Amino acid sequence: MAEKTDKNTVVVEKTPTVTFTLDGREVTVPKGTTILLAAQSVGIDIPTLCWHPKLTIAGSCRMCYVEIEKWPKLAISCATEAMDGMVVYTDSDLVRKGRAAVIQFTLMNHPLDCPTCDKGGECTLQDLAFAYGVDNSEFDFGKHRFGATENDTTFDDVVVGPEIVLNRNRCIRCYRCIRANKEAFGEFDLGVFERGNHTEINVAPGRRLDNPFSGNLTEVCPVGALTHLDWRYKIRVWLTDTTSSICPFYSSGSNILLYTNQQQNKIYRATSRVNDDIDDGWLSDTTRFGYQVAMSPDRLKMPLIKKDGKQVEATWEEALKLIGKRLTEITEKKGRVCIGGLVASSQDNATLFSFSKLLRKVVGSNNIDFRTDYRMLPQTSGGAYDVLCSQPFSIVGINQSDVIVTLGSDLVKEHPNEYLRIRKAVNFGAVSVYAMNPYRTKSSDVAKKELVYQAGTEEILINSICLVAIEDGLIDSSLAGNLAECISPSTAAESAELCEVNLEDIRAIARALADGRQITFFAGEIVGRSINREAIAAALCNLHRLFGLSGRCQMNILPRHANSCGAVQLGLLPAPVLATKDMLSKLWGGWPESEPQTTDRMMANMKKDEIDGYMIVGANPIMLYPDREFATDALEGLDFLMVADLFETETTALADVVLPLASWAEYSGEYVNLEGRVQKTHQALKTDYDARPGYEIAALIAQQLEQPLFENDQTRDETITKVLAVDSTLPWPDEFLEVKHVADEVDEEYPLVLFVGDDSHHSGYLTEKSNSLTNFQAEPYVEISPTLAKRLGIDDGDSVRVESPVGKIVVPVRISHHINNDVVFVPMNFSGKQVNSLIMRKSRVDRVRISKVVD
Amino acid sequence: MILTPESVTRIKDAAALYPQAKSAILPAITIAYRQVGHLNPDLYGEIAGILDIPAVEVAEAASFYTMFPKEPVGKYLIQVCHNISCALLGAEGLLSYLQDKLDIEVGETTSDNLFTLVRVECLGSCATAPMMQINHDYYENLSRAEVDRIIEKLTAEAQSGGTL
Amino acid sequence: MSFYSPVRTNAQEAAKSDSLPLFRFVEDPEQTKIDTYEAHGGYQAWRKTLTEMTPEQVVGEVKNAGLRGRGGAGFPAGVKWGFVPKGSTKPKYLICNADESEPGTCKDRVLLERDPHAVIEGMAIASYAIDCHLMFIYIRGEFGYAADVMRAAMAEAYKKGQLGKNIHGGGYDLDMIVHTGGGAYVCGEETAQTNSIEGRRGNARMKPPFPAVAGLYGCPTIVNNVETLASVPHIINRGGDWYKTLGTEKSTGSKIFSLSGHVRQPGNYELLLGHNLKDLIYSPKYGGGIIGDKKLKGVIPGGSSTPFLKPDQIDVSLDYESLASAGTMLGSGAVIVFHEETCIVWIITKLIRFYRHESCGKCTPCREGTAWLELLINRIEQGGGKPGDIEKIESICDNIMGRTVCPLGDAAVMPIKSAIAQWRDEWQYHIDHGKCLVETKCELAPGN
Ligand SMILES: Cc1cc2nc3c(=O)[nH]c(=O)nc-3n(C[C@H](O)[C@H](O)[C@H](O)COP(=O)(O)O)c2cc1C
Ligand code: SF4
Ligand code: FES
Repeated sequence: MAEKTDKNTVVVEKTPTVTFTLDGREVTVPKGTTILLAAQSVGIDIPTLCWHPKLTIAGSCRMCYVEIEKWPKLAISCATEAMDGMVVYTDSDLVRKGRAAVIQFTLMNHPLDCPTCDKGGECTLQDLAFAYGVDNSEFDFGKHRFGATENDTTFDDVVVGPEIVLNRNRCIRCYRCIRANKEAFGEFDLGVFERGNHTEINVAPGRRLDNPFSGNLTEVCPVGALTHLDWRYKIRVWLTDTTSSICPFYSSGSNILLYTNQQQNKIYRATSRVNDDIDDGWLSDTTRFGYQVAMSPDRLKMPLIKKDGKQVEATWEEALKLIGKRLTEITEKKGRVCIGGLVASSQDNATLFSFSKLLRKVVGSNNIDFRTDYRMLPQTSGGAYDVLCSQPFSIVGINQSDVIVTLGSDLVKEHPNEYLRIRKAVNFGAVSVYAMNPYRTKSSDVAKKELVYQAGTEEILINSICLVAIEDGLIDSSLAGNLAECISPSTAAESAELCEVNLEDIRAIARALADGRQITFFAGEIVGRSINREAIAAALCNLHRLFGLSGRCQMNILPRHANSCGAVQLGLLPAPVLATKDMLSKLWGGWPESEPQTTDRMMANMKKDEIDGYMIVGANPIMLYPDREFATDALEGLDFLMVADLFETETTALADVVLPLASWAEYSGEYVNLEGRVQKTHQALKTDYDARPGYEIAALIAQQLEQPLFENDQTRDETITKVLAVDSTLPWPDEFLEVKHVADEVDEEYPLVLFVGDDSHHSGYLTEKSNSLTNFQAEPYVEISPTLAKRLGIDDGDSVRVESPVGKIVVPVRISHHINNDVVFVPMNFSGKQVNSLIMRKSRVDRVRISKVVD
Repeated sequence: MILTPESVTRIKDAAALYPQAKSAILPAITIAYRQVGHLNPDLYGEIAGILDIPAVEVAEAASFYTMFPKEPVGKYLIQVCHNISCALLGAEGLLSYLQDKLDIEVGETTSDNLFTLVRVECLGSCATAPMMQINHDYYENLSRAEVDRIIEKLTAEAQSGGTL
Repeated sequence: MSFYSPVRTNAQEAAKSDSLPLFRFVEDPEQTKIDTYEAHGGYQAWRKTLTEMTPEQVVGEVKNAGLRGRGGAGFPAGVKWGFVPKGSTKPKYLICNADESEPGTCKDRVLLERDPHAVIEGMAIASYAIDCHLMFIYIRGEFGYAADVMRAAMAEAYKKGQLGKNIHGGGYDLDMIVHTGGGAYVCGEETAQTNSIEGRRGNARMKPPFPAVAGLYGCPTIVNNVETLASVPHIINRGGDWYKTLGTEKSTGSKIFSLSGHVRQPGNYELLLGHNLKDLIYSPKYGGGIIGDKKLKGVIPGGSSTPFLKPDQIDVSLDYESLASAGTMLGSGAVIVFHEETCIVWIITKLIRFYRHESCGKCTPCREGTAWLELLINRIEQGGGKPGDIEKIESICDNIMGRTVCPLGDAAVMPIKSAIAQWRDEWQYHIDHGKCLVETKCELAPGN
């Protein structure tokens, strides 16, 4: 084990080991290893019920007995550390009898309703009873039954949340669910009540089990006590096949297994495919239940083309012909630069790369981007923001950190996996977490301090950390250089005041950064979406330099989507970083002359008639662009719009050609996660209608333009591999960057700051097509603090009008402790309400007012 | 709010004593019980709010401890120890005597809402068996005559509007 | 109303004796007041500890005295204190275990209600010995009066400077919290007790780690019984060498015995360890014999979780070793006596109901096993016993014994195993005939 003593020296200490005898063989393991883990390491399986590799040890089921020579009693191997010279038997007569007794006790009140239990076939208790030949015929009394309640459906089942069903009679009281829920997820909607043989797991009084990780509980439960509605009574597990896949919604790419049945051509559920390096075996509910999107009956099944102002069904051939014709017309009439494209970063590498080549090589313009929901992006690349985004990041690195700092990230909503990682670091390590956010988030549960700053002041906040470090002499003064001249205000106190934060809190973060040996520091979507992102990134670069973080900190602005990293690396930025651009121009024998245009610039140019043809793949700017009016005007002003998507959306409604896009579950693809790790999905479903993957669509369009894209799939993939191999990490700036305070005008009429983003059970615009996820949340709402609610005389669930200078919507109120008083949050995941009509692409901070709707 | 300002203050004072606020769950439950006479989820929520902890943790703890009724009970909660030392000296007889006298079964409350009768495990009063606890007080070395006197006294006390 | 326990004691004997220190003043109604306590020599040991002794010396003295835990397990107190890791920078905690819930046991209540300062003084000295600055007393929730007395005594102790900051100018700070329980026998178990104080459910925790290393709030914690701690001031005042002269060689000192059940004079009696059990039951000074001049049937010598003794086994010395050789335990010193008109199965129904009710529910064997045992035993008692039930009970007992997280499982099955071993015929009769061999006659006294 490498034990670091200070920032520079690394002392390698030899880990002490112990040697003991296990079933006659000598085993050496690090001191502190339990007998159970030691046995697992040499391939000896000891049965367990309550033990779970990712949770603290409960030691309650007593299944994992082993016999230790000279010990008076059987020992539980999950909690007993191996010690030098121990002689352990894992399968002696005594052990087998002990375990059989445990099974007998466990079966005593168990209903043994295996024929109708959804866990049948994958139930640990069932397997163990079988292995130890135990039934419960010796127990000749009536079984204890937990009382029926109004919510009861069939048997003894109680629906305790939107998806979760609890059967207390099957529960063996291993407390895995409770531990997972409380420890791993930090959730308190489930509890243990009563005691003795009446001890029961149940939802907290007045709550429902609806936390963003609730689906994991069904996997954690070793028996059929916790199951989910989505899977129940649909199929027996042994009639399913599994296909490995990854989560298409978040940038860490959690590993999943899709349970399918080929005859039915259906996916029945998704479970974790444990990958400790990425997800530790936990999935967010969005990841788990998101597969239903692919199977939605609303899927677009045929191409549509506009005829006489109306979209009508057409064949692929007709549609493609039309695309080819219109694109050619536009290029011929107005030039190549009049065609642009938006390809979402949820698409796989092949799709992204194919469209990139289609636009740059076949069409011949630099009008390509993958960002829908980011306003006013810079035209050029290589600025501070790109530097930060390009930095290496490792998920397990989070757990190796002693200091974790986050900036502008509502973690559970945008990076649920990383949120759980941070929780784990806190639970099992000595780590200090500091979260800085413009509103209170669930990070406050893990953070030593969640620092809530005035919205839109991120860069000043970062400045203040730097300033306090200089003022307090926390850093080597020679490092400070001319920083003070580059930033304003020039004192920590003034900066802190502008951000409305306590200087002491800033000081604590500065101290942690100065002392941290391994730091993880990342910013999230609130920074990414900010119009001010370049200044914030510059401030972060300054901080990196001032604190000398090189070599002891992974700092990044985390990408949000499943393949954001792939998009960047494959050159989907209008102006890719130099190394990538060089590689691509080499491969393609040149580079378009035209000025690179971001989505925002292209939209502006659509209005000016400088972009006439536009192709959108898997994106819905009308719903998500942070200025609905602007986006609508732009797209309506086009001569030709092609949209490929899974569903009809408000964007496809404007299109001249709509193409049915295959979902991630319908073809095999590759995605690059936020660590730069390339991961594969495999085909789990065959569409029985004619939806096609993005890369195929690109190839077909290229054919129409008479310029085939790739010789074949293999050459395409080889090229992709080459491009991905390019190191696109950008160097940190070698000087301090200017970061000055710019005052934000506040319109007194609109006193509340509006944040938009994802609901904790949704991601983007597709998940409202998942039944399970809409069972959790089907509608937008406005989240406000109890204090604000009180001030406005609003109750939970009341309808309110949310008004900004440019728009208004009416939504129900959700009162939440996870928000502060002058901020409101509205999720963007629901198409019915035009949430983005409230925001303007040019505003740094969105402001609204709310009022109760009286009917 | 069900808890009175006094109860809230007492809970806060208790929390201040401990190294961790969560430790005040049991004191808080006790205070709430003493004020209300029984516990319920609304009280758990209030306590959780005061201590700034999840309500489920209060509910979990409260359900573990059997001393606090979770449903309303009569003015006088008669808890008869039926464990071994008391049983040897007539605890079952004591229970049936009380049942007859109050005309209720164990677990029930008299129609005038005065008495609720329950069985409890050993109350640590074994050398003065048989015994019972009524609300917060012990009554020991019981005999039929003694029980008559106690019930009579409490009934009179209740009629004269006496407090607990 | 009988707030103050009307229990009979041998205080008068103790007052005259030089060797029964615990009960010397328990019949003095003024003893709860700090002035009286001090006038009786109270808090001198505390002063001496602070001004003349190092923590090591205190531990040494208590070790030398051979004082063994009075809570049930009989572990040497000084040795336990010595387990607190030296040089640990974490806070250390002392908990005085006043949960007194083991059926038959009612000895601590007398000390709590009648000599609270002795408990506080003992707690303070033990705290000093382990470098603890915040000590707890965990009083079972039903002991409302005892808790009131203790709180009043604590307030006085603060006022008089026996607790608080810079006590007796010696620079030692010590605070105290009176924590009351909520009705749970298992919270008398030390790890469950720490959970309970932390505001958690009173589930037992796995050992190791032992509380002395990681207990309350994860910090080194010593849990001692009320009586153990109340004995400490006497040891400090008069020395371990003196204490050793009391009792037997390995069971030193005096101990309070709670005598209950079918005896003429139930009560709490402080005796030297090594006192004869038969004498305790029959001596006119103590039990005064069996009520109604009935014949003795059996004795539980150390609280409801200890194995039974039959009449021919009661000529035994009440000390840890002798009772162990007799196949039982001194436990908490609760002697429960029952006469010939008591059915053994009936007795066991009371006990198993209790243990089933008090199981915390955490571990499988205790949670399920006690419930199964209760069903089987009730069935036998109600006349529905089936052939093989006795063997089944024995096998369930074996599958609980030594297999649970905390000793509650053992406590539940030890008396059952013993009752079967000692009165097997009676169990068999019950099954064969569907009724008791001896009908239980336990009636409520008419009184006057
Ligand atoms: C189920 C159970 C209940 C117990 N109840 C008590 C109790 O009420 N009082 C007590 O002092 N010890 C009780 N103990 C023993 C304690 O765990 C612990 O050993 C004791 O308090 C230590 O104090 P001592 O060393 O001074 O005896 C109990 C143990 C178990 C297993
Ligand atoms: S519900 Fe399942 S996971 Fe939870 S305690 Fe019961 S058996 Fe274990
Ligand atoms: S797995 Fe070891 S006790 Fe449950």
